[in-house]
Amino acid sequence: MKPKIYILIVEDEPEVLDSIVRDITEFEEHFEVEMADTAEEAEEIINEITEGENLIGLILCDHVLPGKNGVELLIEMQQNEKTKPTKKVLITGQAGLEETVKAVNEADLKHYIAKPWKKSELVKITRNLLTDFVINQVKDPLPYMQILDMEKIADHLRTSGGMTDQ
Amino acid sequence: MSKTKLTGLILGIVGFCIPLIIQFPGLSLPGHLAMSIFILAAVFWMFETIPIYSTSILVIFLEVVLLSAEGFINFSGMEYSPVPYQTFIATLADPIIILFLGGFVLADAAVKYNFDKNMTRILLKPFGQDPKYIILGLMAVTAVLSAFMSNTATTAMMITVVIPILAKTEMTDPARVSIALSIPFAANIGGVATPIGTPPNAVVIAALNQQGMNIEFGSWMLYAAPLAVGMLFFAWFLLLKLHPPATKVIPLDLKGKWTQSPKAYTLYVVFGLTVILWITESLHGIRSSIVALLPVAVLTLTNTFEKEDIRKLPWEVLWLIAGGISLGIAMKETGLADWLVGSIAWDQMSYLMLLAVFGIVALMLSNFLSNTVTASLMIPLGISLATSGIVGGPAGMMIIGLVIALSTSFAMVLPISTPPNAIAVSTGVVKTKDMIVAGTIIGVVAMGIIILMTRFYWHYIL
Repeated sequence: MKPKIYILIVEDEPEVLDSIVRDITEFEEHFEVEMADTAEEAEEIINEITEGENLIGLILCDHVLPGKNGVELLIEMQQNEKTKPTKKVLITGQAGLEETVKAVNEADLKHYIAKPWKKSELVKITRNLLTDFVINQVKDPLPYMQILDMEKIADHLRTSGGMTDQ
Repeated sequence: MSKTKLTGLILGIVGFCIPLIIQFPGLSLPGHLAMSIFILAAVFWMFETIPIYSTSILVIFLEVVLLSAEGFINFSGMEYSPVPYQTFIATLADPIIILFLGGFVLADAAVKYNFDKNMTRILLKPFGQDPKYIILGLMAVTAVLSAFMSNTATTAMMITVVIPILAKTEMTDPARVSIALSIPFAANIGGVATPIGTPPNAVVIAALNQQGMNIEFGSWMLYAAPLAVGMLFFAWFLLLKLHPPATKVIPLDLKGKWTQSPKAYTLYVVFGLTVILWITESLHGIRSSIVALLPVAVLTLTNTFEKEDIRKLPWEVLWLIAGGISLGIAMKETGLADWLVGSIAWDQMSYLMLLAVFGIVALMLSNFLSNTVTASLMIPLGISLATSGIVGGPAGMMIIGLVIALSTSFAMVLPISTPPNAIAVSTGVVKTKDMIVAGTIIGVVAMGIIILMTRFYWHYIL
């Protein structure tokens, strides 16, 4: 079985969660989308997913959550071998400078999206980050070429020597 | 482990045991052992129970253990005088492997300094903006590059060039399909043109070398390049016919900058010089495998090609080819190849019919199997046919080698037929159905031309 790649969305406001999911529907055919409304629930989902061979490619995470906050969750993920490669994004209006700096330094935050966001921006960021994830973590990136950054994946094939004449 | 792989594992092991249990009349003990290895290799290669290069390594290992003078079996008192184990392992330094090594170093260095991409931009310029000629241009450039670089790497590179072009066409324009199909097809076709174009050529040339035939780089091109050029034009016509572009103009934006550094210039010079020396072998007499050491030596001693680059070379392809060559040696040395050939009533068939059978089987097999594997399995039989006098003399041997090598490369029906096909289908622009239609026509026409060439072309120049 080919490992599945998940996109995890953590957001406590149902309407916001819905609109994130709606904006990235085009990725659903190739990636599994999972949702959580608290960091604690996200942790459970992360454990379930990574128990087998499956991978979490991207997390889109709100900062202000009931209980543990988003930045803490991302830092935890960075410290876990299995979720270290996961591309980490904050979607928030309320993270202060200090916490954002912490996320960048300690959770290798890849992007900070301020609310409200534009759909095209979210799609572009998702595509770029998933492309990088697939190139670095997946042996055979061909099945993802169509949905992700085709040019980048083709160039990766050209330079990495991952595929050869047989 | 998937069901296919498991089936392969069981069949392979059972197949390996058959010649050890059943006695075939007229076949010696070493012949039986070689048959065990042959069956195991064929099954593992077909079912891909283990990666195809690991099967090649296993072949060499089993030959050393079972068939060499240093192996575990005592052949004294038998007619067979076992070859030293070096014979089997030395295939990894066979002149043709060194030729490929030189080619790999050149190609990887070209990628490192973006020579392949910049070259493409320059070569595409004269083809203008008419989609018809852009497609011809794409095909010509792809074919030329893939004659000297890997077909797969060339395809991947061309896809990066083509994506901006596709972005400028309407989603419904059939030009998208013809462009996306033109690249893998041209890459497959271009590979036949030179000895280093694609691995099956290597397996065949090595087998012919072992029969004492030296094939010059330029001679191979003389035999095979006309077919490549002809088929390239045919594929172009066919794609335009099947998927005629709707738009009249595709504006090309071919900006690019040559990498300018002493190392990049070193590469440009060495690349040009090596190719010239290869093509002009008949003028200076320096063998192509010796010329191949030039890029390896110069690029490494100038640090143009560094340690990390050496590690990244596709070594497994060299193992794959070496295993194929080594299997051929074992089959010939133990008399297995002759025995197999002798057990079929070839004289019932005419000479042309015989070549056609080899060509068609090669074409069909390599649509499903790796091209190199197909060539490795078929060339020992082809060579035996020639040495047993059924197809007549050195020219006959050369012709049957060409038929096998070229037929395997024209298998491009399915996405799994070749890695370039797989890449093209993965773009989502091409449907498998389109590939099957065009690929089948190209395969059938190529087969026809190859048969005609045996009679009306190679026959006269060999």
